[in-house]
Amino acid sequence: MIIEVKDLAKTYPGGVEAVRGVTFDVKEGEFFGFLGPNGAGKTTTMNMLVNLVKKTSGSIKIDGFDLEHNASEIYKRIGFAMQEIGLDETATAREMLQLHGRLYHLPVSRIEEQIAKLLKLVELEKVADRYASTYSGGMRRRLDLALSLIHEPRVLFLDEPTQGLDPHARQLIWNHLRDLNKQGMTVFLTTHFMEEAETLCERIAIMDKGQIVTRGTVPELLERHEAKTLEEVFLKTTGSNLGEEEVNLNASDPYVRGRG
Amino acid sequence: MSTFFSDWYYLSIRNIKQIWRPALALIPSMFIPIFFFVVNSQSFSAVSKVPGFPNVSYKQFIAPVAIFTAIFFSAGNAGIELVQDISNGYLKKLLIMPINRLAIILGKLTEVAVQSVLQGAIVLVLLLAVGVPINTGFLGILAMFAMLILFAMAWSCIGMIAALRTQNARLVQSMFILVFPFLYLTTSQMPRELLPDTFRTIATYNPVTSIVEGVRALVLDGWGNPAIVQGFLVAAILFVVMVSLTVASFQKTLK
Repeated sequence: MIIEVKDLAKTYPGGVEAVRGVTFDVKEGEFFGFLGPNGAGKTTTMNMLVNLVKKTSGSIKIDGFDLEHNASEIYKRIGFAMQEIGLDETATAREMLQLHGRLYHLPVSRIEEQIAKLLKLVELEKVADRYASTYSGGMRRRLDLALSLIHEPRVLFLDEPTQGLDPHARQLIWNHLRDLNKQGMTVFLTTHFMEEAETLCERIAIMDKGQIVTRGTVPELLERHEAKTLEEVFLKTTGSNLGEEEVNLNASDPYVRGRG
Repeated sequence: MSTFFSDWYYLSIRNIKQIWRPALALIPSMFIPIFFFVVNSQSFSAVSKVPGFPNVSYKQFIAPVAIFTAIFFSAGNAGIELVQDISNGYLKKLLIMPINRLAIILGKLTEVAVQSVLQGAIVLVLLLAVGVPINTGFLGILAMFAMLILFAMAWSCIGMIAALRTQNARLVQSMFILVFPFLYLTTSQMPRELLPDTFRTIATYNPVTSIVEGVRALVLDGWGNPAIVQGFLVAAILFVVMVSLTVASFQKTLK
């Protein structure tokens, strides 16, 4: 198993239990989907997996390394494209990719190879020397994906990677993700789009109120919950309407302290 | 080069590029010190005839303050850039890289140092052009910049701490108003002997006074003035305290 999570829990200051004893694992090379309504604890879980939020209890192992004791080894092996697209607005795509390559301590020749490959992959070759502030939403999302891939991570974490994209851009991202997964990269995806999860993911876990309420392959979930679609499974297991907003959206944000 | 130093180096380069992106952003922090120097040196030139005023023109007296002000304003940018990195999520990207987190702070401080030298040098050239002499010569200029850089880095920590603790861009931007009490409740505009009692007391306890007087001693007096050593000492203490507080805020906020 490349990701092993056991009894993972997070209680924020103020007593909000965002994640309550979650246990799951992800196989190497798997495309794993993590679904749930807003406020279910998905982003908090993902932020704990990449060490952006400190867990209250439980254990996390990635590629055999315990996150608590070997975080820097794990950082070398993971990529993370966040829901919020974190770009340096004052830099160009090429500059950002070069900086990230250097911060991952890659040799210069490999950085240049990776930049050429990734710019082609995300179709930003022609605008690579433009400032990120001039990019459209889709271009920004693709650049963010390229940044998370510069060091060829073994595990790619994606938090709502197609949020806010038009169908064309979404399809483009899906194709990239499928290709990466075929090449052996493990992908851990959270999404609101049932179609996205159904299309891409081999196994799915659905989370609600800080706990995993069901998991399995799509056919297994449909059979277990006597449902015709994944959306039906989602509604049966969470009782939520898709896109329903809950008040504790910020609970997963490590910069927002003392809030639910 | 160990990875720590290479991380520091590349993050510094990234930050230094932000100084002139966009170039127009440099104008306000250059305009303010020059504006105040020109207006004050002309408006209050007669002050130098008041008994008790040092034996120099008012222009010479406030010249060091012009360099100081340029550095004061530019040091505030570090906090603004940091809060931008936090709010747009870029800092999170840095935090999940195999880099030493101290390098993130040091990269910001290096940017402050470079910007201080650039802006301070421009103001210095203007002062030399209008006939302000530097009595301690080239070495004095180097010493002045060393002291000012230490202070600028310490001052920039206020903005960075505010950025880390509040993540509020408006609050961090408004921190520049602190420049005014800290700079004007000193001997920046008037010698200590001519200040009213209350202001003199405040100036005595305001650490910025030591820096102003240290820089002024390098410009107007000579190496024998003890204000130089005191200025260095205060700048160094402020640097150590403020950087320690910033690192502590960094560790505390991100967990």
